[in-house]
Amino acid sequence: MSKHQYAMVMDLNKCLGCQTCTIACKKLWTDRDGTGYMYWNNVETRPGLGYPRQWDRIGGGWKDGALQPSPLPTMDDYGHAWEYNYEQRLYEGKKQPVMPSPEPKSGCNWDEDVGAMNEDENYFFYLPRICNHCTYPACLEACPRKAIYKREEDGIVVIDQDRCQGYRYCIKACPYKKIYFNEVTGKSEKCIFCYPRLEKGEVNACAAQCPGRLRFVGLLDDPESPVHKLVLVHKIALPLFPEKGTQPNVFYVPPFNPPKRDNYGKNIQEDPRVPLDYLIYLFGPEVRDVIARLQAELRKAQEGGRSEALQLLIGRDAETRYHLRPQLVQIQV
Amino acid sequence: MRIRQLLTIVSVGLLLAAITCAQTAIRPASGQSLPVAASPVNANHLLNGGPAAWNQIAAKHVALNRTPPLYDTDEPAAVEIPIVDVRLARAAGKLLVQLSWHDTTHDATTLAETPNTPPETRFRKVPTEADDRFFDAAAVMFPAKAAAGAIAPSLQMGDAEHPVEIYYWNATRGSMVMQAQGRSTTKRTGQDFPANGTYQNGRWNVTFELPDLVAGTTVAFAVWNGSQKDRDGRKYFSVWQVLE
Repeated sequence: MSKHQYAMVMDLNKCLGCQTCTIACKKLWTDRDGTGYMYWNNVETRPGLGYPRQWDRIGGGWKDGALQPSPLPTMDDYGHAWEYNYEQRLYEGKKQPVMPSPEPKSGCNWDEDVGAMNEDENYFFYLPRICNHCTYPACLEACPRKAIYKREEDGIVVIDQDRCQGYRYCIKACPYKKIYFNEVTGKSEKCIFCYPRLEKGEVNACAAQCPGRLRFVGLLDDPESPVHKLVLVHKIALPLFPEKGTQPNVFYVPPFNPPKRDNYGKNIQEDPRVPLDYLIYLFGPEVRDVIARLQAELRKAQEGGRSEALQLLIGRDAETRYHLRPQLVQIQV
Repeated sequence: MRIRQLLTIVSVGLLLAAITCAQTAIRPASGQSLPVAASPVNANHLLNGGPAAWNQIAAKHVALNRTPPLYDTDEPAAVEIPIVDVRLARAAGKLLVQLSWHDTTHDATTLAETPNTPPETRFRKVPTEADDRFFDAAAVMFPAKAAAGAIAPSLQMGDAEHPVEIYYWNATRGSMVMQAQGRSTTKRTGQDFPANGTYQNGRWNVTFELPDLVAGTTVAFAVWNGSQKDRDGRKYFSVWQVLE
């Protein structure tokens, strides 16, 4: 067990699916050879295929204390990275339009905004995903090289690139399929929770760039941190697929009040636009209580009272949304 | 009834002895000796001349075992490669080994080269073509320290008192020298060694140039079959053999 645990809360009611977080992460960490197809941070439309396709249904994680089997997703499941023929168009004077190659046939968020039907109405929402930096990481257990470790000082899960031999047991074991294999280096890679930024007092790139201001970052065990308040005090944020047994440290405020046509202001329990069963599928049965709590807070605010939980969720400034502890850094020589 | 009990006790005892042997230093049996030819042809020809260069040298058929499933989540695998043919020759102060085995699937690829310019200045980055494939490979393992008598290290990558050197060749990634002192301690040294692999008519012929090991040294062999998702300890292995 780590001494402290960094955690993130994402408010799904505020995510607009703009992928600014995805690009921030990509430019910073995965703009190298062999990383074209990988998105340590991705935003997918739910309900939907996800990235890689069907990751939520293919396996991994824990059951009764044992790792669960899973196939390796294929490149078709992730979507091959494509490039544009800028050289031909810009420098070689060829008159074709700029075209992607190879021809894109799938990719992350390929089924953008498709969603599903609930009776006669379409519904969807966006689900941003990073590595969950789990308390009981299945990837760590699966690695025979002991290349994966959980940092004692802040609970961030990282892969030692010197020890990794590219066996990919970790990819199979991760129930969220948030580890990626780089064929050029022959090693596996994943989200590092921007620990080099945190150590300098800068928040994660995905959070810093988010125009929806939906990400909250801090130590789960720090009473001053917004994640502690949202998860443990107000109890309005839940992990994804808790039954996978890894105890994620990324939490979500579920979409609880999307307006249905002609029914603005009614909540999911009164008039579900997003079917409650789907939210239970993602976040477990506790999502019912969370929605009831959110509804009560909303009512309190609408009646002129002050809701600490909603004020926090509005997250007006960086001081509200992030509470970093760079002094945790243990300098290793 | 007595006899059956006795047989059970004896067979359990033998099994325990076998497991103990696999985990600790052992003395190889006398039938496990490998002839080493004094080669009439030069080392370079043996290394790069393909299978024909080895025609004059007799092969020893070495039995391969498949490791049992190591993890609960492992898919079971059939024994597709029961034998590796081993030829050894000394030439110009080097020990050359040819491993030859039948493999119906050719699991190798040519990875796109990384251009010499820094990635951030290039329009295109070298892509990953497939993330779920594994490649054919082979290795020769021998004690890192000079053999004392005929005591061999643990077959599971040596042990703390008996470190091993592993000369590993991969059909896609080439050769690398590794060191280990027991299971899951294998480390790359950053060195490579001369090796050459060809795949013809459903057969791999791979030549290794090893340091000149003295007679009496124990060596063991391993083969990985990419199509069976072999990597790590998921592989075929021989027991220790003794150089004549």
